[in-house]
Amino acid sequence: MSSLFDKYAPLKTRVDMMMKIGQDALGVQFDDILDATRGRIGNREILLAGTNNYLGLTFDEDCMEAAKRAVESHGTGTTGSRVANGSYAEHIDLEKALADHLGMPSCIVFTTGYQTNLAAIAGLAGDKDVIFMDADAHACIIDGTRLTGASTIRFRHNSPEDLDKRLQRRGEIEGGNALVVIEGMYSMFGDIAPVDEFVDVTHRHGGYLYIDEAHSYGVFGPNGCGIAEEQGVLDKIDFISGTFSKSLASVGGFCASRHKEFEITRKIMRPYMFTASATPSNIAAARAAVEKVKTGGHLRSNLKERAEQLHTGLKEMGYDLCAEASPVIAVRRPNEAVAAMEWNWLIENGVYVNLAVPPGTPQSSSLLRISLSAAHTEENINTILKAFGELKNAQGEMMQNMAAKLAAE
Amino acid sequence: MTSSPNSDEIFAKVCELLKPYNPQNRPIYRESGIMSDLEVDSVAVFDLVMGLEDHYDISIPMEMVSDIKTVGELVNAIKELTSE
Ligand SMILES: Cc1ncc(COP(=O)(O)O)c(C=O)c1O
Repeated sequence: MSSLFDKYAPLKTRVDMMMKIGQDALGVQFDDILDATRGRIGNREILLAGTNNYLGLTFDEDCMEAAKRAVESHGTGTTGSRVANGSYAEHIDLEKALADHLGMPSCIVFTTGYQTNLAAIAGLAGDKDVIFMDADAHACIIDGTRLTGASTIRFRHNSPEDLDKRLQRRGEIEGGNALVVIEGMYSMFGDIAPVDEFVDVTHRHGGYLYIDEAHSYGVFGPNGCGIAEEQGVLDKIDFISGTFSKSLASVGGFCASRHKEFEITRKIMRPYMFTASATPSNIAAARAAVEKVKTGGHLRSNLKERAEQLHTGLKEMGYDLCAEASPVIAVRRPNEAVAAMEWNWLIENGVYVNLAVPPGTPQSSSLLRISLSAAHTEENINTILKAFGELKNAQGEMMQNMAAKLAAE
Repeated sequence: MTSSPNSDEIFAKVCELLKPYNPQNRPIYRESGIMSDLEVDSVAVFDLVMGLEDHYDISIPMEMVSDIKTVGELVNAIKELTSE
């Protein structure tokens, strides 16, 4: 008789191969987190270079203080959804603060960034609408489209011309609207959308533009509002979503809109209505972090400098980098086995980056993905560069080791 | 107006565009499961579809792709969309 798990046989083969090469890169266990850039595994201190902690605020004193105060005054959990069990003052206050920061009349806060896109996309697109989605869109955007009755068409990554062509090809949407979904900075390659051009194309066709700034809110723009602000088109964006789990150093997400009618979706979004609201401490930490974002010009400029330092250094070593310098720097590797082997070597030598493999990556690529933090120092970057330099020299030995490990039964 | 392509022409085109996603060069039949037999990953399937949309100047929405399991089903879907 067949087993429920038979279908995972090909995946199991892949995982087994990874485990032969080293430890499970997708199941790392830290014994301790010391601060925004340092962790500990066993007795080894690890430089964290894959956390998405862009502004380095996870140990910021004001953010920690805000979280502690929220626990003391309002407890550890909300024990229910905002619809069934009510919102706390923290939720409302954070929504107002984000709306104000983005200059938009409506903002809704969710329990995670994943649920934000799931809820908002499914809430906005109805049966007669058509979603046009960037080909490199994050899993939660794809999953959001699957929760709708709307037809979904993919366009080529970061190509407003291709979007234009596909909108044209689809023709008039009878009884519905086009919802175009893009991201600001893309999570895997760290490449940046030409949002200004997407605004033009989308609005020329009478559509609405939705941008997920999960990796760019707090990181770009003079006030930290993201890529749309950086490109001077923030006020033209119809919907802007983000997460608290990266630059805001907490857990949760938001979606803001220049259309105040967006508020009605609170009554229909399932991942908003049927899940517990974020805890007071999560929300309070994010709220304190929003203030840090507003005044975070110095954090953003350090982050930018560190990104340029690392990008230049890796390029000089001849590494194949997937995009221009940004807080996400992805090093393209020839295949999954080599990437896994190198990932293991790096963590054994004290540097934690992300191993990213298909289908979670564009172009079926295998990547060593680095995400930088404003908390990284020039010296930290030198440490990363040194590790990548030695990694190159260790290739021969690593290959032999891998061959031996793969051959061993 | 050119006449719409026949099923064999479409099958040949699909095989051609599948090539880069089939590095192990597995034989492609109409019955082949795109993901199950050819082991094309979920994202690559959508990339393949974009190429077919451009070649035939049609829209193949993602929800339609999700229902397509085999090469033959993909060929049939394109046949239908091109003859509309
Ligand atoms: C582009 C993008 N959107 C949304 C999310 C989801 O955010 P969260 O981790 O808060 O659920 C992520 C990453 O996790 C992401 O990369």
